[in-house]
Amino acid sequence: MKSILNLALSLAAALLFGTAPAMSADAPAQPAAQVQAKGAHNQAQLWRDARSGEAGVTTVRGPEAGVLIQSGGETWRELRNGPITLYGGIALCVVAVAIGLFYLRRGMIRLSGPPTGRHIQRFNTLERMAHWSMAVSFVILAVTGLVLLFGKHVLLPVFGYTLFSWLAVIGKNLHNFIGPLFLLSIVVSFFIFVKDNFWKKEDAEWIAKAGGLLSGEHVPSWRFNFGEKFMFWFGVVFLGLTVGISGLIMDFPNFGQVRDTMQTVNIIHSVGALLFVCLMLGHIYIGTIGMEGAYDSMRYGHVDEAWAKEHHELWYNQEKLKPADASKTEPGAAAAHS
Amino acid sequence: MARMKFVCDSERCIECNGCVTACKNEHEVPWGVSRRRVVTLNDGVPGERSVSVACMHCTDAPCMAVCPVDCFYQTDEGVVLHDKDLCIGCGYCFYACPFGAPQFPQGGAFGMRGKMDKCTFCAGGPEADNSAEEFKKYGRNRLAEGKLPLCAEMCSTKALLGGDGQVLSDIIRDRVIKRGKGADMVGWGTAYGKEGGKS
Repeated sequence: MKSILNLALSLAAALLFGTAPAMSADAPAQPAAQVQAKGAHNQAQLWRDARSGEAGVTTVRGPEAGVLIQSGGETWRELRNGPITLYGGIALCVVAVAIGLFYLRRGMIRLSGPPTGRHIQRFNTLERMAHWSMAVSFVILAVTGLVLLFGKHVLLPVFGYTLFSWLAVIGKNLHNFIGPLFLLSIVVSFFIFVKDNFWKKEDAEWIAKAGGLLSGEHVPSWRFNFGEKFMFWFGVVFLGLTVGISGLIMDFPNFGQVRDTMQTVNIIHSVGALLFVCLMLGHIYIGTIGMEGAYDSMRYGHVDEAWAKEHHELWYNQEKLKPADASKTEPGAAAAHS
Repeated sequence: MARMKFVCDSERCIECNGCVTACKNEHEVPWGVSRRRVVTLNDGVPGERSVSVACMHCTDAPCMAVCPVDCFYQTDEGVVLHDKDLCIGCGYCFYACPFGAPQFPQGGAFGMRGKMDKCTFCAGGPEADNSAEEFKKYGRNRLAEGKLPLCAEMCSTKALLGGDGQVLSDIIRDRVIKRGKGADMVGWGTAYGKEGGKS
């Protein structure tokens, strides 16, 4: 009734003044703009209804089938194709170059003294399995994820459409199937490593001296120094859960997720994942070519006593107080202190 | 060169779903996939309007922009098509499309997406025109036969029109002059932007 009244009013206005009533701001200029005056109210209302994103009635089944126009996709497109691709790409390059320059300057950080030849266990089998499950799945997810975001710009021109599409199919399926396993390894790793990642007062000194990374000074630390603790809380726990859970939401689209959810979650997922990759580039560097003995500690589970004393003195002193054989033979002994 | 567009005259659409049926039948669209749908706003209350919607073949198509394997292409006539051999079923086009046009047949366990399917403006795909291969993947290529999209051709009230945007604009303008109302061309601003507004 109201709309008929409004229509009559606008008709009257149009006849009286011979001009078109002002169109609603959200209705773009129409091809028939000059003749639509009489129906302007009616049209503006329909436009608002169509653009509102509210569902109408339709016989087609599916989430949001009744929505005529969903505007969020445009925002998602602008964010993903714009800042996320651009600044994400720049961030990755900057981190990679920074690590390269650091390596040129410092080289591999070697032991300052000769190795003692006596070994001490640093990671037991369970811890190493958890770490490498995370590591292997992370690398696969990172590579395939980067292919989906940057491949179009970097690999497609090199490989051509057909080959790149094959790569992307394999990448997508690896990403979708390994994602949940990664999240599982994150959760398991949390419980395994959390006890040695709580704040200790010595961490303040480590932060103040930036871990001696630039000065070369050795800052005493417990089993994990603050850098490792940061990697644990911000990397594994925060980013791991953020990326893992947002990934699950997109991985299983058959729970009726609407587009707005997918768009938001995809933005969170890609920003989190890019940060994660930047962070892990640093972790992988320092865990391999960046520092002598670091890779072996996770590969074989034990380190030379000289290494332990140099990098984790407080932990080393504590381990030495334990019965001499216990730290070598008993699985879990290295983690048994509290 | 014509610039192909769809328009649905909501003053005329009677929600008969003839366009939906015509499309499904013509292209033998797989079960669970509907390339076109009719949406009724304000159903059963004053101001009720129905609009038939499918892929609008946008000028600056969001699906094309976000596809990670660049499987979309736009013909000289503005029709947005895609190559199912390249499509990886990631669903990004579905996230980006304002009209909900991309459809995904279930491709495996846990809601895994198959190759995307959408309205082709009855223009097939990259395969040879009207080949068996093309029909199987994309449906009939009516444009290659010199015909316009069947949904619009079969519309009983001529609410849904498909063809050159300039011609469609003229038809709608004519109708608006005669009936004195209803100039809405739902989705044109979204699909064709400034160009849609001008033409």
